[in-house]
Amino acid sequence: MNSFFLVLSYVIIAYMLFSSLSYMALFLLAFRKVYRESELDPREATEDIAGNDRTFPVSVLVPSYNEEVGVVSTVRSLLALEYPEIEIIVIDDGSKDQTSARMIEEFQMTETPYAVRTYLQTAEIKAIYQSSIFPYIRLIKKVNGGKADALNAGINLSSYPYFCAIDGDSILENDALLKTMKPIIESDGQIIVTGGSVRIANGSTISRSKVETINLPNHPVVLMQIIEYFRAFLIGRLALSRLNILLIVSGAFGVFHKERVIRAGGYNKKTVGEDMELVVRLHRLLKEEKSNQRIEYIPDPVCWTEAPESLEVLRSQRIRWQRGLSETLWTHKKMMLNPSYGSIGLVSMPYFLFVELLGAIFEFCGYFIIFGGFFFSLIDPKIAGILFLVTIFYGSLISALAVLLEELTLHKYPKVSHLVRLYGWALTETFWYRPLMVIWRIQGIFAAFRKKQHWGDMKRKGIST
Amino acid sequence: MTIYFFLLMIAFLFLFQIALLFYLVIHKKKRQRYEEEIESQYNHLTESFSSYIIEPSDVRFLYAIRTIQHQEVVLERLLNGYVAFTKEANISPLVKQLSEEFLTEPYSRILGQRNWAKRINILHYIEDFHMTSLSPVLFERLTAANTLDVETQQLIRTLASLDETKVIKELGRFPNVSIRLYVDVFNRLHKESTPKEIQSALDGPDVTLKYAALVFIGQSGAISFLPAVEKELESSHAETRIQALKTLFRLEYMSDPDLLVPFFESSIWTERMFAARIAGILQFSRYKKILSTLLGDSVWWVRYSAAEAFTHFSDGDVILAHLSENHPDRYGRDMAAQWRIYRPGGDN
Repeated sequence: MNSFFLVLSYVIIAYMLFSSLSYMALFLLAFRKVYRESELDPREATEDIAGNDRTFPVSVLVPSYNEEVGVVSTVRSLLALEYPEIEIIVIDDGSKDQTSARMIEEFQMTETPYAVRTYLQTAEIKAIYQSSIFPYIRLIKKVNGGKADALNAGINLSSYPYFCAIDGDSILENDALLKTMKPIIESDGQIIVTGGSVRIANGSTISRSKVETINLPNHPVVLMQIIEYFRAFLIGRLALSRLNILLIVSGAFGVFHKERVIRAGGYNKKTVGEDMELVVRLHRLLKEEKSNQRIEYIPDPVCWTEAPESLEVLRSQRIRWQRGLSETLWTHKKMMLNPSYGSIGLVSMPYFLFVELLGAIFEFCGYFIIFGGFFFSLIDPKIAGILFLVTIFYGSLISALAVLLEELTLHKYPKVSHLVRLYGWALTETFWYRPLMVIWRIQGIFAAFRKKQHWGDMKRKGIST
Repeated sequence: MTIYFFLLMIAFLFLFQIALLFYLVIHKKKRQRYEEEIESQYNHLTESFSSYIIEPSDVRFLYAIRTIQHQEVVLERLLNGYVAFTKEANISPLVKQLSEEFLTEPYSRILGQRNWAKRINILHYIEDFHMTSLSPVLFERLTAANTLDVETQQLIRTLASLDETKVIKELGRFPNVSIRLYVDVFNRLHKESTPKEIQSALDGPDVTLKYAALVFIGQSGAISFLPAVEKELESSHAETRIQALKTLFRLEYMSDPDLLVPFFESSIWTERMFAARIAGILQFSRYKKILSTLLGDSVWWVRYSAAEAFTHFSDGDVILAHLSENHPDRYGRDMAAQWRIYRPGGDN
């Protein structure tokens, strides 16, 4: 039995060292581009495309379920977007609260007999409303069908060639769409999806879609999520995007070429990770069609979201994410290690399987063996010690590195104290935050087998004034 | 490998990070101090700069700018602020004069340096400040460029804004130049130079250049090119005809409504759609019957455009009400019903 745990320890040590090194290699890949672009004058970068004739019109889709508290402020923040031509489509997915009523009242909406094209099958549309004060705000009231179904209904109603899917609790910066559409416009259609970098708004002051002051929250759980975002966005996604093998565009904010998405069949209603699943499916189609089109991620933080402060909500969110990841990888298992899908099949899919999904299982076993080794002689305490050190390397030191790299490239947090606090908290990750994540991520994998679908539930305080 | 190896590895990485953290803290503090100095000098000069711009005989600013430590950056920010604030500044001789006097030399230097972001920023500033003094340096860089990357594209835009028409010929060196880039060039050339370039683009063999010219004519409302655009409606290339229809739609003008007739029955739905949109926006009443037929078209966008076209007619409401009840096609009836109430809008 001891020899089994010994071998397992070696496997985990090798796994953690390999994963840590792969994180560092990925960052090095992305570093030059981020560093190079970090000094660009942001106003000049978007000024050129801000004119009406230079942009493509965009439909902004806001799927909502029981969002009576935040839906109006979200739409108001969208009205402040600096973009020449947009339409805002709120999809009330059978809310049990006053989501639709709040929209209808606030924006003086009236029912319109809209002739919707049914590109994608959705649950029944009950009514479509149009604002009489802002004609480009529309509301779809439909029977509950889940977030993917709501997004598909929004796609059906949208009239523009690109759509932007945002979460009901996200606040976009004024120039978010300009920045995100820029690569699409400049690539002449070669880029079909762009994902924006998402930042956590807790602690900062956001007023009328403009970040007035950037500050750190006091809550350790939220601080750790900020560090996690650095790790995921700066280390992982940028490099994968550079290699055109990025599999995740955050559901909180992404712009998609509508026709491509329709051709791919729209959002998949059978998974809770509809955002990732769609991106993987688009990659799959691009590879199958031998297309040169790309999916790109921009490092500039353009979307602010409210991170959960309570452990209960965080737990439910992480279970959902992990479940979405499991379902997506399972749905597209054909691509795994399949040379016909190029680097997506050979690098990206295995990376997401071994690092993002199964990482939780390796880490869980690691924590178990460390505990058993130190307290119950499960293995030689020296090996347990090595495992412990490697776990610190994999957890705390890599996250601390992500904090330092953010400062080196984007340096969005203005005060020295911000940097020091984030670094200090990052070092604690292995000892409390990571074990929690590991347990929830494993629960997420199990949840994938149960297949019970629901909208994410979160008590909102609101992030914009 | 023993535990000591791992201990050493972790200790080394930790110490490396601590050293990096110290470096970043010091660097951040320095940057903050630098920004504070710039901010203070900027605030100090704002009043005299404004006075100078309003009344150039008040030369206090010219003396003051020579005495400050961060002359280039402060002047750059003052000029940028002014340019962003008022579009008139684009043609302000004072902005050009100040920038050429104080920034020509530092900008020439930076253009030769390795910092890519700075070079790109400066290309934008040269365009904003109309620094023609840098034209020769920029053109030299363009002729040396081998790829049409982000920097070369901005170089082309900047040169076009300085009215360097030669960039169009230079662009021909690169494969797969986008319509968008040519349109950018046309948009930036001075008004006196554009007509000649547009005419040669329409007459020339380069299809991309021709489409860009058509797009530009539509965007700028250059009605003098109407005959040339209408001539393109006879082109044997579908894409050219569609571009010409799009331009006519944007110009909101046609010399002869009969030119639209063949497009109502085109096998290409985009042509039918634009024909319907043009008939609506130009209120060609004679095509109401055809529009009613197109309301039952097999393509959603054609039905949408035909119904929208009726909203431009004074009796459009009545016609749509009638069609929403009596159109033989169910989808046509739905679309007419939608446009009775629906109001388009998307301009933010």
